Amino acid sequence: MTACSRKITVAIGLIGGFWLAGVAAASDSTAIRLAHDVCAGCHGVDGNSLVPNFPKLAGQQKVYLLRELKDYRSGKRVSEIMAPLVAELGDGDLEQLAAYYAKQAPAPGIVNDPGLLAVGKSLYLNGNSTTDVPACESCHEADGSGSGKFPRVAGQHSEYALDQFRLYATGKRTNGARVMKAVAERMSEEETRAVAEYMASMP
Amino acid sequence: MKLSPRSSILAALLIAAFSTPAAQADFQQQPRAAGIETYGYTWNSPDQDMNRALAHRADPGKGEAAYKVCKGCHKADGAGLADADYPQLAGQHASVIIKQMMDIRAGRRDNPRMYPFAGEWIVSAEEIADIAAYLQQLPIPSSNGKGNGYHLPRGKTLYDKDCASCHGKTGEGNAANFYPMVAGQHFSYLKRETRESRDHGRRNASPEMVKVLKGYSDADVEAVSDYMSRLKADR
Repeated sequence: MTACSRKITVAIGLIGGFWLAGVAAASDSTAIRLAHDVCAGCHGVDGNSLVPNFPKLAGQQKVYLLRELKDYRSGKRVSEIMAPLVAELGDGDLEQLAAYYAKQAPAPGIVNDPGLLAVGKSLYLNGNSTTDVPACESCHEADGSGSGKFPRVAGQHSEYALDQFRLYATGKRTNGARVMKAVAERMSEEETRAVAEYMASMP
Repeated sequence: MKLSPRSSILAALLIAAFSTPAAQADFQQQPRAAGIETYGYTWNSPDQDMNRALAHRADPGKGEAAYKVCKGCHKADGAGLADADYPQLAGQHASVIIKQMMDIRAGRRDNPRMYPFAGEWIVSAEEIADIAAYLQQLPIPSSNGKGNGYHLPRGKTLYDKDCASCHGKTGEGNAANFYPMVAGQHFSYLKRETRESRDHGRRNASPEMVKVLKGYSDADVEAVSDYMSRLKADR
């Protein structure tokens, strides 16, 4: 083989290699590998976390997921667990992660205290005008599916939801908080628990 | 000036005490702008936020989607809630909704309850214009809250004498002048706002109106509010 033909062979090999890499990226990108290898530990392979303190991500709104991921990266949403995991990821990776979880089918939630469902349903659908709590359904939709920046709440772990209400009420969750802080601090302890149960009960 | 080590520690402590927690707690507090209580206050003076909304080519379809954040209290049909003093908004002039929203955003009208749901972090000036256009074309509900009906003749006399010249004979308001439609509004809301205007609590009220209301007793306010709540706007 001449030096020239060897160069051509290498070139063809390189092009082929890039092409293969391109195909691999499309079907199993860094982000998706990350979802399977790292995120799955807490959030489940398909985003249906089995641990009540870690949120379910399956079927979550893509816009919301992307905002949260970016906020974890910038520190606007504070989490010692999430911050180092997303620190090195680029916008493209985050977008793929968000798209991946948004596409997964959400599994039904678990109700811990069915006795609270009636109170939760009433607050979720009508709010409480005595304390100026707006109806949750106006932003999160009657079926809890959310829309855009307003997250899906249906089937979410009630433990996680409760944590978030408390973080908002005490000013510790500061992203998306201008609206949710006002809501969370106007809700009674019973209402908070009840609405978390009702959200978990929604298919 | 040279600070002693002790006083600089004190200063540092003071700065820490006043800066961090306050910055956290205040981020959704409504600002306060000069209103009727301030000497030289001009009603409906130009406002950048308001001009942006008024200049926007409003789209009621987009407004329906953006209204999402409002309907948790004001309800899907815009009827509000009589018992909670959430005003009826369906059929209200778009200009009126824009002006009132911008007065609340700027702090000329105090509404700390609604403020977290009204800021630019949740609705842009353009979206407010879209929402206002959407509400304006909704049918006016007739199931609004009304008063006891005992003093309607007195209410009519007062209304025709003092209110009709601006708010219209049938309570239809005046879009060009930012005068709200009062017909079909909840009695409890009208009563509260009229009384607040009289007592300078509604700080974005028109001084002209406040002058008229000065002579109103609580009973007068109630009578005229009851009358307005029963008007059917001719538009």
